[in-house]
Amino acid sequence: MIEHAYLLPLIAFFASLVMLFAGKEDPRSPLPWLGIGAMTACLTIAVSIFWSAAFGGGVLPYERNWRWFSLAASIGGKSFIVDMSVGTLIDGPAAVTLVVVTLVSLMVQIYSVVYMHGDTRFKRYFAFVSFFTAAMLGLVVSSSLLVTFACWELMGLSSYLLIGFWFEREGPCEAQKKAFMTTKLGDSGLYLALLLIYAKVGSFQLSQIQQFFDNGFMPATVATVIAVGILVGAAGKSAQAPLFIWLPDAMEGPTPGSALIHAATMVAAGILLVSKTYFVFLASPSAMEAAGWMGLITAFLAASMALVSFDIKRVLAFSTVSQLGFMMCALGVGGFTSGLFHLTTHAFFKALLFLGAGSVIHAVHTNDLRRMGGLSKKMPLTFLTMLIAVLAISGVPGLSGYYSKDLILADVWNHDHAMFWILLFTALMTAFYMFRLFFLAFWGDDRDHEKFSHAHESPVLITGPLVILAVFSALAGAGLDHDGLVSKLLAKPTISVMPGATAAAVAVPVDGAKAETAGHEARGESSGRGERHESHLPPWLHMTAITLVLCSITLSFFMYRGPTYALADAVKANLAPICTLLERRWYFDDFFYGLVALADQAAALAFWIDANVVDRVFVDGWGLLMLIFARISDAFDNIFVDSAVDGVGSLGNDLGVGLRSLVKEGQVQEYLMYAAISFSLAATLILTR
Amino acid sequence: MTLAHYLTVAALLFLIGLFGVLTRRNVIGILMSIELMFNAANVNLAAFDRFLHPEGVAGTTLALLIITVAAAEVVVGLALLMAIHRNLGTAYVEDFNLLKG
Repeated sequence: MIEHAYLLPLIAFFASLVMLFAGKEDPRSPLPWLGIGAMTACLTIAVSIFWSAAFGGGVLPYERNWRWFSLAASIGGKSFIVDMSVGTLIDGPAAVTLVVVTLVSLMVQIYSVVYMHGDTRFKRYFAFVSFFTAAMLGLVVSSSLLVTFACWELMGLSSYLLIGFWFEREGPCEAQKKAFMTTKLGDSGLYLALLLIYAKVGSFQLSQIQQFFDNGFMPATVATVIAVGILVGAAGKSAQAPLFIWLPDAMEGPTPGSALIHAATMVAAGILLVSKTYFVFLASPSAMEAAGWMGLITAFLAASMALVSFDIKRVLAFSTVSQLGFMMCALGVGGFTSGLFHLTTHAFFKALLFLGAGSVIHAVHTNDLRRMGGLSKKMPLTFLTMLIAVLAISGVPGLSGYYSKDLILADVWNHDHAMFWILLFTALMTAFYMFRLFFLAFWGDDRDHEKFSHAHESPVLITGPLVILAVFSALAGAGLDHDGLVSKLLAKPTISVMPGATAAAVAVPVDGAKAETAGHEARGESSGRGERHESHLPPWLHMTAITLVLCSITLSFFMYRGPTYALADAVKANLAPICTLLERRWYFDDFFYGLVALADQAAALAFWIDANVVDRVFVDGWGLLMLIFARISDAFDNIFVDSAVDGVGSLGNDLGVGLRSLVKEGQVQEYLMYAAISFSLAATLILTR
Repeated sequence: MTLAHYLTVAALLFLIGLFGVLTRRNVIGILMSIELMFNAANVNLAAFDRFLHPEGVAGTTLALLIITVAAAEVVVGLALLMAIHRNLGTAYVEDFNLLKG
């Protein structure tokens, strides 16, 4: 199936077109099942690709290109012809991501059939979801950065459409604009990076660019600039500091849509792009370091903000930002495998969390955690699946999040101990706020009797996807970790030529061809150069981390188990300034609003200058000057030029009248005489010449 | 007798005719002067024919043609004069000014 990978985006895209344009809008339209069918087909293809990559004899990376268009260009006097290709490039990460994207999208769509039931734009919602997925799949399979960028932008568009799906309300409207503009700000960086890549390499094909880098043709400074540009783009899309402000608002859209954005498509794109262009980062250690710190700061800030939020979806949104920070940090410190591994596991449990939250919201019709409570009695399935997801994201041993987060922490520990402690603290905060959400929603007694009595377990189309995702959340980590599968599939790309001074900063590369055995060997070999690929924490640290996570969960339990949370309030009262800081989201939003307001003021000033200085002095003044010149010119024309013209005319007239007065009128003989005189004069003149 | 002699005579005749046209008051005199000018042309034709193409008859034929045309022209002129004389009661050309602009 791998040679037909191009079908994945095309099927989804086609399905979205059909759903968008076929049939009338109807709250009970059967068309969404077309999208679900298409996504099932995509999932089948993706699974077969994954299977052949993981267990079959498929050789990765697999690349297949078609000619797209050619253009002749002439730059600096040199003419050349550019062949632009379009094609598919399937490597390990792509194979894994394809399964994740299609699976999550399928679950989201099945779930949405109930969740969006009766919405006036029922059909359109599914078209958007399919379109979104198609764009993501296109980004994953594309072998050309140009197509990747196009899909990237299409995803920006679809996120805009999905976030503002209920555009009648003001919140979604504002949120969609915020999301679009913020990500667009990041995209400009990516755009510049692409231009620079093309200017240097002369191709958008990833494999060719990689070759260019591998051969060491790229100067280090240029590589850094490109890497920073890509990083800015990824920061916009994957909601890294300081461009994460859009993601917490993005939950204004339909909850399953948020699940898609937060788990499989939008935010994963940024991380995936960094992984696709990882060779650029390998060539630029400073950009790697920047990525690491950016991820770390993002993880910490977002986790801290999640501590104080009472909106169930907002907590999840902050946790997404935080987890993305984990991934970016992992990529930054050289943990390619761990970052992508976490991306995979995170997709499962974050989709599950959002869908579970959607199920809760569906039941109680509020986002406010303070008005929930005790829902475990009413919604046992949702409760159990959410428990699995929360355990997974907290990193409790045995579940998927544990494996990936463990790998990330190990990579960070090997890179920088200070970063490790901050990240470990963030992981503890993660466990705390996730269980805070969990206890507030499901534990103890009901706080709002009316809401509680109203609540009920969701229908099977909602719980079904929850259960499936719960299975993946529980087992994906262990399954992928088993037998070194993860290091085979998500093998770090190699780069043969490295600046000598920076070799130590970059992890020892795993040879792609030997990746299959690398997992086994890495365990056995203890005397590698520097660090090993599958690095582990020291055992004492490992145990400490697990213990701390469990302590954190226990703390959360004691603070939020009851119908009231006096302890939490007491803590909050004692730490009022910090709480305010967190509730205002570290003033990031205010900062950006201030920035925009400042720009507004600057624009107003510029307008004033334009209206009063430029227009008054230059434009109007120029006009006045021209008017004066015109007046002078007019007077000159009237007095001198016109009188000269009139003078010539009247001279002719006067001459004629004067001559005529010499002749007595009506005398034929006189006329004849003049004629004879003139004739003879003329004849004389002609003949004597 | 060379060609120049004939041409001189013809030129004199022409000038005499022209003088008559410009100075005679009576229309009949003017018509007669015009005849003189015609005949000056005829003398020229005959002379050129005689000296330049003695073997041909084109010149003399043209002279005969002109004599005929002159006769017809005089007829028209006299008829016009008769009509004018009946209307205006005069044959002096300075009184013929009905057509002045």
